Amino acid sequence: MAITTDPHDQGRVVEAVAGHHETREQRHFKERLALWLFISGDAVFLLMELFYWFYLRALNTDGMWRGVNCSKANPCTDGLGNPITQEIAKSTPWYTVSIAVLVVIAAAVVWEVERSAQRRSKRSVISGGAAIGLAVLVAAVVVQCYQFGVLPFTTIDGTYASTFQFFMGSTLAHLLLLTFIVAGLWTRAQRGRYDGGHWYQVRIIRIFSVWLAVSTCILAIVMIAFS
Amino acid sequence: MTTDLTRPLLLEDTPIGPTAGGFYRRQNVYTGLAAGILLGFVGWLISNAMLEGSNWGTDMVVTVTMVGWVIGFNLGVGTFNAPLRWMLGHDQTYEDELYAAGVGQGRKRYYKFCTDHKVVGTQYLVLVVVLFAIGGTLAMMMRTQLITPHTDFLSANAYNAIVSIHGMCMIIATIIMVTGPFTNFVMPIMIGAKDMAFPRLNAMSFWVVVSAIPPLLATFVLGGVDAGWTTYAPLSVQAPPAMDAFAITMIVFVISVTVSGVNSIVTVLTMRAKGMTLGRLPIFTWASLVGAALSIYAMPALLIAFTSMITDRVVGTSFFVAGQGGTGWLWENAFWIFGHPEVYIILIPPVGAMLEVASTFARKPLFGYKVTIAAFVAVAALSIMVWAHHMFTTGWAPELAGPFMVTTEIISIPTGIIFLCLIGTLWKGRIWTRLPMYFVYLFLWNFIIGGVTGIYLSDTPADEFFHGDMFVTAHFHYTLLGGAMIAATAGLCYWFPKITGKMLNERIGKTAFWIIAIGIQVTYFGMFWEGFEGMPRRVAFYDPIFQHANDMATVGAYMLMLGWIVLLYAGINSLRHGPVAPANPWHSKTLEWKVPTPVPLVNFLVDPVVTSDPYGYGEPEPVGPLIIPPPHPDRELVPNLSSDNPLAKDDG
Amino acid sequence: MSSDPSGAEEPPVLEQGDSIVARRPFFSGPAGKIFIIWFLMTTVGVLIGIFAPHHLLPTLLSTEGTDVWRTMVLFTILAAPVAAFVYAVAAYSLIGWRHRGNQDEPPEDGPPLRGNSTVTAIWLGVSSVLVLVLLAWGLAVYSAESVSPPHSLQIDVTGQQWVWTFSYPGTGVETRSLVLPINRPVQFNVTSVDVTHGFWPVDLGVQVDANPGVVTVIRATPDKLGKFTVRCSQLCGLYHSFMYAPGSVVTAAQFSQWLQSEGASTTTAQATALVKQ
Repeated sequence: MAITTDPHDQGRVVEAVAGHHETREQRHFKERLALWLFISGDAVFLLMELFYWFYLRALNTDGMWRGVNCSKANPCTDGLGNPITQEIAKSTPWYTVSIAVLVVIAAAVVWEVERSAQRRSKRSVISGGAAIGLAVLVAAVVVQCYQFGVLPFTTIDGTYASTFQFFMGSTLAHLLLLTFIVAGLWTRAQRGRYDGGHWYQVRIIRIFSVWLAVSTCILAIVMIAFS
Repeated sequence: MTTDLTRPLLLEDTPIGPTAGGFYRRQNVYTGLAAGILLGFVGWLISNAMLEGSNWGTDMVVTVTMVGWVIGFNLGVGTFNAPLRWMLGHDQTYEDELYAAGVGQGRKRYYKFCTDHKVVGTQYLVLVVVLFAIGGTLAMMMRTQLITPHTDFLSANAYNAIVSIHGMCMIIATIIMVTGPFTNFVMPIMIGAKDMAFPRLNAMSFWVVVSAIPPLLATFVLGGVDAGWTTYAPLSVQAPPAMDAFAITMIVFVISVTVSGVNSIVTVLTMRAKGMTLGRLPIFTWASLVGAALSIYAMPALLIAFTSMITDRVVGTSFFVAGQGGTGWLWENAFWIFGHPEVYIILIPPVGAMLEVASTFARKPLFGYKVTIAAFVAVAALSIMVWAHHMFTTGWAPELAGPFMVTTEIISIPTGIIFLCLIGTLWKGRIWTRLPMYFVYLFLWNFIIGGVTGIYLSDTPADEFFHGDMFVTAHFHYTLLGGAMIAATAGLCYWFPKITGKMLNERIGKTAFWIIAIGIQVTYFGMFWEGFEGMPRRVAFYDPIFQHANDMATVGAYMLMLGWIVLLYAGINSLRHGPVAPANPWHSKTLEWKVPTPVPLVNFLVDPVVTSDPYGYGEPEPVGPLIIPPPHPDRELVPNLSSDNPLAKDDG
Repeated sequence: MSSDPSGAEEPPVLEQGDSIVARRPFFSGPAGKIFIIWFLMTTVGVLIGIFAPHHLLPTLLSTEGTDVWRTMVLFTILAAPVAAFVYAVAAYSLIGWRHRGNQDEPPEDGPPLRGNSTVTAIWLGVSSVLVLVLLAWGLAVYSAESVSPPHSLQIDVTGQQWVWTFSYPGTGVETRSLVLPINRPVQFNVTSVDVTHGFWPVDLGVQVDANPGVVTVIRATPDKLGKFTVRCSQLCGLYHSFMYAPGSVVTAAQFSQWLQSEGASTTTAQATALVKQ
């Protein structure tokens, strides 16, 4: 391979100036590309979750997706008279909806923070926006945790219950990750990291929050509409 | 900011003491072990307290303990330092990044969270050798058990546990055997970069996978995973608590591979030197790129499979429990949606490395460079559509057997192109038979056998005989050991001088080669024989009619192990007594041979400018513009300043 | 692949000093030598294809098993020329193109052949045609096997850790050994009561997993008398190794006799009807 290197430098010296041949745009492109790759991995995870949901729902082994109604033909007992299958009540959609709405709001707030950073707004405006976003996310986390306590079923009640709670857990895990990041956004905004037009990192966070809003909404729609 | 940026800095003479920057400068693998054990113990206490009066059993305890270990180890070793400090707004200083890159720490930097890609590559290399040693020892125990139809060497339970951990240990080792050492060490230099795109993620991918190994080994004391490496449900749902540790291992491994995959892709796409167009990339770089892209697709499927396995076992969900509406087919689908791309994640990077070796030692340009890249991409694309050929005999969707047979057999067309590239490169070459080239020929021999036997298995009616049979075992060992691992060994022998600075002892190496080469044939022809006769896989005791075939396989396996030990000895011997390697012992044309050995911290003292692809053997040196870029006044010492760093100056 | 594959891509090689007129005979040039190696290796491969499966496979007792054997033979014969070509070029490269002498220094560079679209096209064409042949064969055999012939004998197979149970519906016979009448299509309805097992009557050349909660189906038509073993092909726990059952293919008369000797609740008439259906 034909390359050109400086022939005098092939010694033991680690040069203090071995160059960063990257412009700012290249560096930002690099970070954005990595983010999109992580998002595509997360999208595959989302697709797998949907596969779980629809496959188990379509398969409905022994009517155990949500259980079957008890009737004379199906007395819901095993040979010893213990109850086994019973139709599981659907979860109320309001928790799911409110979590999705909260995440959408959080994403919108982060987007607004990005805009204010681009507009070179005052530090208090940027960090205030980040604080609102953080509060909304914490609220979403709290609602999600609370929902675990008020479900009309437990994990052992068939595959609908299992998959539903798996989706809740997955949403919670993603929310915790985003909360961590937005907490960083807030502390850093307070320290003035995003003052004076330094908006690029906020944009990265915004892309991720928008993706989480989209994926949470997809999960919420599936959980509500296809029970 | 005390460092004088204009002063040349020497790797040796700039000690940055461990006390200068607080406790995180004292972190190394030992603090990681201590914190991991501590947090694991805390997890054990917490989960036991939670268990008061509940009946979830030991699965919860094992899971929480293992999660505690993983988090603790990574906290202790420093994986989470940068994210936590980012979150708190205390970004790493310039000195911190110098320290993280290992400046002034000598050998100690190999025992800590070091962001230098060469250190990470070396760490990976050691880890891979250790994993192969563990997996190989387990294989020897299995073959010893199978030396007679009823050997009392292992109990049935121990045998099943060893089968499972041998499988998964080898899968982990082979997934990282090229993407770990060579993609990290060599690939950035090949493309003219001074480090990976995200050096901290790079170090993270290594230490995370290190933390995944103890849970894998802990399975032996937790009752043993008795469900095979594929851990088919519902057997795995009923397995001992070892299964929880196994699942934690896999989940953590997913994180590591995803992170390193993202890092490789971004590095190739954005960190290339001036003039290094995509059409001039060395083939190994392309192979790493395709393998990494495939891993980003495949790993999430493994993640959801093992996450749902844990919830099934710990909190009683019923994804895989037939009595409650689940099905084992769900596990099989999720696992093989990961599992088939996975074999190409294993295979493609070593094949790329092997083609570099072939071109160098045939002293010829690579034959059909672009066609080969197209073949890699086609293999990767097709490989995500073939997973159900592992399920031809499971009874799941018999109507899909036809379509999956079609996609599976079509994959042999791009795979064949790789052979065309190889023999086209050998054609009329000047074959320089040094040790790496030996392994290229061995790859060629083995992979043809692995490929042809794969064609039988892709045919559904024939698979209905051979599935779950030792024939399958022999087939995939021919492709993964005889193919991928031998190709990786070719790469190891090829890059050994660059990585270690010593020439590999070829006399011992060639002895090892012949033992390995013959050992592979004896072992796996023995297994083919077992398979033809109808011996199922994963049996600890067998019908006496299979004895001759088993003895053949056992003898071959001992030989194979001996060969690897001799090769390891060759490596260690060369490290101690070998002659010092020149910068370019093979007179190769890729960029990693243009930098001095040992490679300086920043790889290139002056940015390279590439004017042709690296396969110009027998061609006149291209006459291009000779550009010597002037040193820039404020270039950075460390290749990995994050954009948070004030020195980066350009967060806007 | 029967024509000389190497001749298509390389004209006989002219070494330095050869005049255009004095061409070397074909078989002394590289292409000719590769052809010879290729021919010998193909012959070996084809012979292996013809004889090895016959000797290595157990005696396959069903038409499906015979299909497995035929597939092995056909695929080996088709693969032999391709594999032999790759091996021949590699072998010749070690004989004819190896750098001899001082191995410490690299030889001078080889010719800069960067590719050859004709060769690539031929290679792609040949491999595509071969794959098409394989697919046509495989799909035809598979679709033929997927049809359930009428009046096939139904047998319910149940796997559990670590026992196979076979029951013959309508007769009340439930046994631990599998007995089949010759020349009568059999449909196995396979299920499991605990974990996944692999129902594999080895010498019938078919298998299907036994999954808990569902019934999977596999068919076979025994056409030779003999004994065989039913094994478990899916790791199913501690004593997976010991999960096997004896099986045999018998004549129709022996089969009905056997049913009577097994079935307490079966009348002779029922058993005979079952056989004669």
